[in-house]
Order: sequence, then C-alpha cells, then structure tokens
Amino acid sequence: MIALYEPAVGRRLPLIDGIEKVTGRAAYTADLRAQALVGRILRSPYAHAELLGVDVTAARALPGVVAVITGEDCDKPFGVLPITMNEFPLARGRVRYRGEPVAAVAAVDAETAERALALIQLKVKELPAYFSAETARAPDAVLLHDGRPGNLLREVHDEFGDVDAGFAAADIVREARYRCAEVVHGQMEPHAALAEYDTERQRLTLHSVTQVPYYVHLMLAHCLGLEESRIRVVKPFVGGGFGARVEPLNFEIIAALLARAALGTVRLDLTREETFLTHRGRPETEIRVKLGMTRQGRLTAAACEVVQRGGAYASYGVITILYAGALLHALYDIPAVKYDGYRVYTNTPPCGAMRGHGSVDARHAFECLLDAIAAELGLDPFEVRRANLLKTPMQTANGIIVNSYGLPECLARVEKASGWRQRKGHLPSGRGLGMACSHYVSGAGKPIHRTGEPHAVVELRLDFDGAVTILTGAADIGQGSSTILAQAVAEVVGADLGRLRVIAADSAVTPKDNGSYSSRVTYMVGNAAIDAARQLRDILVAGAAHRLGVQPERIERVGENFRAIGSNDDGLSFRDTAAGALAQGGSITVKGTFTVPVEYQGGKHRGGAVGSTMALSYSAQVVEVEVDIDTGMVRVEKVWVAHDCGRAINPLAVEAQVQGSVWMGMAQALGEETRYDHGLPLHVSLLNYGIPTIVESPPIEVHIVECLDPNGPFGAKEASEGSLAGFLPAVTNAVADAIGLRFCDLPLTPDRILEALARRQRDSRIAAARGAAS
Amino acid sequence: MKAVDFDYEQPRSVAETCRLLGETGREARLLAGGQTLAPLLAMRLARPAVVIDINRIEEFQGIDAEAESVVIRACTRQSRALADPIVQSRLPLLAKALSFVGHVQTRNRGTIGGSLANADPSAEIGLAALALDAEIEARSATASRRIPIGDFFISPMVTALAPDECLTVVRFPLPQGAVGTGFREASIRRSDFALAAVAVQLVLERGVCRSLAVSLGGAGATPVKLTAIEHKLLDTRLGDAELAEAGRLAHDAIDAVSDIHASAAHRRRIAGALTMRAIAEARDEALAGRA
Repeated sequence: MIALYEPAVGRRLPLIDGIEKVTGRAAYTADLRAQALVGRILRSPYAHAELLGVDVTAARALPGVVAVITGEDCDKPFGVLPITMNEFPLARGRVRYRGEPVAAVAAVDAETAERALALIQLKVKELPAYFSAETARAPDAVLLHDGRPGNLLREVHDEFGDVDAGFAAADIVREARYRCAEVVHGQMEPHAALAEYDTERQRLTLHSVTQVPYYVHLMLAHCLGLEESRIRVVKPFVGGGFGARVEPLNFEIIAALLARAALGTVRLDLTREETFLTHRGRPETEIRVKLGMTRQGRLTAAACEVVQRGGAYASYGVITILYAGALLHALYDIPAVKYDGYRVYTNTPPCGAMRGHGSVDARHAFECLLDAIAAELGLDPFEVRRANLLKTPMQTANGIIVNSYGLPECLARVEKASGWRQRKGHLPSGRGLGMACSHYVSGAGKPIHRTGEPHAVVELRLDFDGAVTILTGAADIGQGSSTILAQAVAEVVGADLGRLRVIAADSAVTPKDNGSYSSRVTYMVGNAAIDAARQLRDILVAGAAHRLGVQPERIERVGENFRAIGSNDDGLSFRDTAAGALAQGGSITVKGTFTVPVEYQGGKHRGGAVGSTMALSYSAQVVEVEVDIDTGMVRVEKVWVAHDCGRAINPLAVEAQVQGSVWMGMAQALGEETRYDHGLPLHVSLLNYGIPTIVESPPIEVHIVECLDPNGPFGAKEASEGSLAGFLPAVTNAVADAIGLRFCDLPLTPDRILEALARRQRDSRIAAARGAAS
Repeated sequence: MKAVDFDYEQPRSVAETCRLLGETGREARLLAGGQTLAPLLAMRLARPAVVIDINRIEEFQGIDAEAESVVIRACTRQSRALADPIVQSRLPLLAKALSFVGHVQTRNRGTIGGSLANADPSAEIGLAALALDAEIEARSATASRRIPIGDFFISPMVTALAPDECLTVVRFPLPQGAVGTGFREASIRRSDFALAAVAVQLVLERGVCRSLAVSLGGAGATPVKLTAIEHKLLDTRLGDAELAEAGRLAHDAIDAVSDIHASAAHRRRIAGALTMRAIAEARDEALAGRA
C-alpha cells in the first residue's frame, strides 16, 4: 500500500486536550460536580509513637458527622509493590511520621468535619524518632518495621567486571562524596479524590488524580475487600504527576473507606500542605563515587555507594535503590562497575518515584566527579565522554540491551550550539560553562504484576458515524499520551485526526493499562496502538479492494481515500469504505497489544529486572551560569540540551517535555529542598518550598536527536525524563568553571555559595600568612 | 478553608471610613488591594468582625505634585504609581522600588498605603519611603495627624497607627540638586520576600556627597535607616574605600534574623554587598546628571 496523505507522525501538533485546559473547561477531580459529603483527615502530630488508642466517640456524636473511621476500619496494608505492602490507609498500632493519617471524618460540611477532627483523642507512647539515614541505621535504633534490622528496607550489592583490577589499571583514581537534598514533585494540582459508594449494589466509583488507575483499582479491592468487578476507577483531567501519583495513595483508599462508611459520596480534597505531606518525592541521598581513568580519559572502573533516606514506608523504595545502581550502566562503556545501595526507613514522609526515578542523584555525583577528573588531567569534558562511548548494539554487564544510541550526536549538537570550543575558558570572571550527560529507560521491561497479560492493550472501534474511537487505559497527566496515541493511529489508519476520539483511563470502558510511569506509555502503548491500527487499516483496505475489484496490495491512499493503483479517479472515500466494511458485521472493534520480549526484561542477578527496558533515551546538555560572588546568586543564562528520543512523534510535545525536565532539574539543583524540624515539615507551602517561577526560567534551547530505535513505535523512545539528571551536574560544573569551586552538596543555594567563597578567602589568607611567616 | 464570617462595609468617603473605624466593640480591618488581607482571611489567620472596603472611595486615589513634595493617596494602585510620570520623574527611587514589588498581577491590585500599613519587614515601598524621609497622614473620626516615617514602623506588621486611624496620604519631600538613587534587592526567587534590600538617595555637589540616606529592609523586624553609613560617607566622594566601609557597616549594623529562607549570617553578607552596589548606583546616576 502506498500512502500519499500528510503524515500524522512528526507533526508539531498542539495537545488534543489543550483547548479544555487553556479555556478552563477541563474538569479536574476537585471540579467534578457531586452532592458529596466533605472528608477530612486527622494526621499524626507525632513522628514516631505507639498508637494506644484513638477515641472518636465525641466526633461521632457531633451533629452533621456522618462517618468517622480509624485504623480499625481497614486491616489490609497497601503498597505498590506486592513484596513490600506495609502501609495502612489509616495508621494501626504505630505512627511513623508527622502527618500520617490516623482517622478520617465525613460530614455535611467542611466546618463540621474540622470540628469533628478536633474532638478525636489520641493516646500514644512516643518512641525515639530518626530523621536521618545515619541515626536510623545506628545499632541501637528502634526498628520502624519488624524484621528490618538496621532499619534497612533493602540493601543492594552488585559487582560487574573486575573492579579492583580496573582501579589498578587506572592512571588516576579519585573518590568524592555528594549529598542531594530531598525534593518533591510540586505538581500544580493538589491531591483530590471523589468516592461514590452505591450501597444497594455495593459498588464503588472513584475519581482520582492518579497516574495509575489500575493500581488504585487493585488496592481499593484489596483494602475494602471488594471484588474488582464492583469497582470503577476514573481519571479525570490531571494537573501534573511527575511520579507523585504512580502508586495508590492513602487518601484514595481513605476516600473510598469513608464513602462506604457514610453510605454515600465523599469528596476528599487535600490542602497544599497535605499534598506535600503525602510526599513520595526523591529521597535525601548521599553518594560516594570512585572512578578510575587512564591519562587519555578512558574509564577503567567505577564504584558507587548510595544511601537514601527513604521515609517511613516502603513505597517504591526497593525500585529506587536498584535504579540508582542499574543506571550507572548503559550511558558509557565502563569495564567494571560496583554498586552498594542502602534504602533506609526514617520517621519522615515516605519517598517514592520522581521524574528520573532513582537515577538522578547518582548521575549527578558521577558526572561531577568525571568533570573534576577531566579538569585534573587537562582533558576536555566532551572528549572524556567521547572516549567512553558504547559500541552499539550491545548488552551491558547488567543485562540492558542498547540498540539505539544517539549520545554521540547529542554531544556534537550541544558542543556546537553552545560555542563550547570557542567560549569555554574565555568567559569573564563569574561566568561559566558546564556540561553533563544522562539517560533514561523507555518503560520498565518487567511489569510490577507478573500476570502473564500483554504489557499494553489498545482497542479501536469504528462505527456508523465514521469515527475511530481509541480506547486506552493510559493516563494522560499532561505529558500528552492521548495526543501521541491519536497521532499513531491516524498515521497507520490513514485517517484525519478530526475523525479520531480518545477515551482514556476509565475502567468501565477502557482496557487495563499499567499507568503513566517509567516513561512507558509512548513506547509500549504506542506499539499496541500501532498493532491495533494496522488491523483496522487491513480491514478497511480489504473492504476497499473488494469493492474496487483489486488485490489489497493494489490499493493506494489519496488523503483519506482508497484508490486502485493506476486509476485516476478519487477512489472510495473513508466513509464509503467504512460503510462497506461495517456491512460485513457491524461495528468494527480491533485490539492491539504489546509485550516486552523476555530478553529485554533484565539480567538474571537479583534485582536485575530494574533498569531493564527496550530502549533508552540519551541526553547531553551545556549550561551557562553567572555567579554573583557578592550575593551568592546563581543565574542560569542559557541551557543547550540535545535529547535523543528516537522518532519525535510530536516534536512540539517533545520540546516541551525536554524543557520541563531541564527546568525541574534546575529547581532541584538551585533551590528546592524539604526541611524538617524534629520531623515537623517546614517547607509545606509554595512560599517556603522554592519552586522557581517562569521569571527564573532561562532560555532552554532543545535539539531533538532522532536516533531511531528498531523496536520503538515509528522508532520513538522516551522523551520526558532523560534530560533531568544531566542538568544537576551540568550546572554544578558550570559554577565550578565560573568561580573555581566544586560543590558536592545540592541545592546550590546562595548561602552555600557565599559560605564556600568566604572559606576560600579565609584559607588563602591563612596560607598567605603562613607563606609570609616561613 | 475560607474566611470566618464577617460584616462587610463599603463606605463612600474618608470621613465615613473613619467613622466606621471609630465604632467600638468590633475588630475592623480595612480592605485596600487585598494582596495580604485576602489570603490571611482565607487561611483564617485574620478574623476581623468587619471588613471595610475602601476601594470605591475617590478621595483615596491619586498622585499630586506639590511645590516641594509629591503626595500619593493611600489607595493608589502600585502599578498606577509605577507608571505615573510624576513618580517616574520626581521619585525615581520609589519607581525603582515598585518594580520589585510582587508581580505585575499583584501590583495591579496592591496599593501604596496598603503596603505601608501592612508593615511587612521585607516590603519595598516602606523601605523606599524611609530613605525618602516620607511622612504619613493619618485620620480618625475626631482628629488627623502627621507621622514621620521614622516613627511609623514599630515591629513586623505593626505600625504607629491606632486601631481607629486610617492612613490617608503619603507625602514624599523632594530633594534639590544633583540627586541619585539606588535600589538593590536579593531574594531566592524574584517574587519572593527580600532576604535583604537596600534603598539609597543622595545628593552630590561637585562630586562630593552632601546628603545621603540609606535604608535597609528584609533582614530584620522593620526597615532601618543606616545612619552610621550616612555620617561616615557624608562629605566624601564615595570612592571605593568609602563604599567598602559602607558595606562593612551595613554588615555589622543590622540585626538580621534566621528563617527557612536564609541564615542571619547570609543576610548580613548580602546586606553589605547590596549596600555598596546601591550607593554606587546612586552615585553614578548623580554624576551622570540623570536625576
């Protein structure tokens, strides 16, 4: 078949749901109209305590209160990973962080609900609490969870290749310790859930802000003891995720429990403070990196130790600590890599997955040390990267297969665009250039639940109206998944985009999808969409061929029309072709699937599934800064970033995603940091948590590198996460270039910078005085 | 969470406003631009019995040039003041300060008098008013009085205004001669509260500083005049050595606080740096004869 229409893939299309968003018509969870009771959560004022009693008598007696629930109402622990479900929707027996839900109320209005909360009495016995990984790991520390000695959720020890021999073969071996503060997602939309319990039929409908409706569905069934068939989960418009919502969260289950207890509908809208408390961000992390290198810049070995302050519950912790080690691989060719990881329970809100999950802080440390060693050897940072490129296709020592590798072109693009060769080292004092690289997976190779089902399913329906309806469970959270699926189907079917309609993420209608995380949707769901679209196209082509009396191979496309090759007429219109096909059996439904082949599901070592993927994105960036040495302010003047996303199905969306990644990296590098005073969070407002605004946003020049992946949909790969990690080291290296100081701790706040400058001044004065004295 | 119940009054004149304020027995708050009051109400940190909305009162609006001063009425919007040709030409320091106040959107609502009466320690308008030696006019139902700006700020969010008094007008005296002004501010994000900010106005006579006002805000409980610097630098040519001395004095003089945004030590360091820069900016402007 020959296609002569305008391709849908590769077009700079505005997102298909953009109009609703910019006009304000989009209904987010908190906007949904419902006659609902108001839910409120009572949260623990203790960081660590035995919960001896929760007295709700007075709260229950308050007029206007319809339901009060506590840990008594649900004895099923939840958690996104089947192996570490250790969190109760409402605490039972123990509270482990300040802000942990203890009880919840449904009342006729917010004031009544608030008053009821104030009437609930807690009886506790306080326990020693630990707010750092170090204190939690102390030999005499009280354990947060039974059977977890040292308060370790998981430790990881991997060695690939002969690391000792690698260091012995190096001309230079350097080691440094880096610390990255804990950061959170800061998505615009606060958490919210609307739960409707149909008492007569014992059915539950939950609307929520989730990125993973399917996992929420499973956990609702588990915690409420309801069969999955009695539950419907719907994801309305979502105002940002970034990983904050890639697991079932306590408020979703609490809303459902409240609705059932109240025999009705409950709205649970969390405040900004509560949204911060629900957390699941990137943990405070300490990284020790050791690298060996030859004088020519060839890496001989790497060793990395990572300690993460994980917070009070498991969440994705096992995955996070494994990712930090797994993604040391697959960016450069390193003969030997050793990794030791420690994920620690502490009395702070649980950390989880956040954009660049697990890879970011370790990548920061690695790229900073690489830059320092390059400087010591007098080598250009670009040349050091080029000396260590992978030779692809290849398989890494930890089992990741790399088929497409656009890093060399990314390097070339940003080196040229930034004027690196002419400008590096020639900028005025206080100005500097730095660079770094990063990468990320295009979907985790192995699913969390090993059910045997395909990893992605998309259904298409064509009916009498000539419309093609795409049914997908994929959760569009602003990243544009619905748009990408529409473009993929339009491309393959040869249908105008106006004919397409996407219905997404409603378990009553759409096929199951694992959700929007690990940058899996374009790759996996995109491939499933192509599979479905090919089937629909074949049905239409066969129908047209039959009508035109030719073989299907002899059909060509002119716009949407189907025509016999060699004829000069208009051929059959899409509507006529569809009508012919419908006449054979009515409404046409097809289903496409996608499953990651087993060889892409990771190495055989313990934890080897994490980091496994079918393709990786690659990114290189150059950051230019101006450092004000009197105020310590770091101003990002410009960022040049090249991102290899394979085929850019929608370059406009890719650019926005890459800019977003860079910008989020900037926020972590320069300002964001959670703060606790004895476990009491101090940062829980947009005033105190330093998310940059549009005013602080530098120009970010995005270069799309299309190193097509043989297995990606149209050759596409990940576009939304891979450019985040590189910003942190690139800006740190740029600051080093600007003022000659290499910082090991993030964020690079003005006081940290002024303090370091003052220290250097003191040291040089002392040195001068000593020199004069001797 | 939304505000507690309150009564709402919409007076039509300054006199009526003062009469409402004078009614005893219920706590009243004036609503001008609402850029602080509205969120405080919504978070229930403010729980007044009555909110008196003064936005519709003509007498409270406007900017007038007098012979030796400029008068700005309390409810004049910050954006209007910033765009006003009188402010631009005669009160360049206030214009510079206004550009640092919040965002365009908040300046469209926020007022000159509202910011002063709110007395946030990091607010720019009060800081500029202090350097400009402004005078506040206050009225109650029974009397009116003038308060020198130096006596106006008492502590964070507390002013010399009595509960029954209303700020009506701010009067800025106009300096004579080769005037220069400087305004410098450091904040984590552009729109954040200042970690430290410095306002300077000076007059040069053949390159020699004959009048100097330096005020510093954001670092302590209220904006402060740095009189030690003024005395030290008067009658000098404001050379590098004098500027360095000013920086040291600023660093040592202020009573800085530590909070989640910055340590006291950091505030002192940047206060010194900003002081040097603001004085240099004002000096260069006066030498160039721009003012």
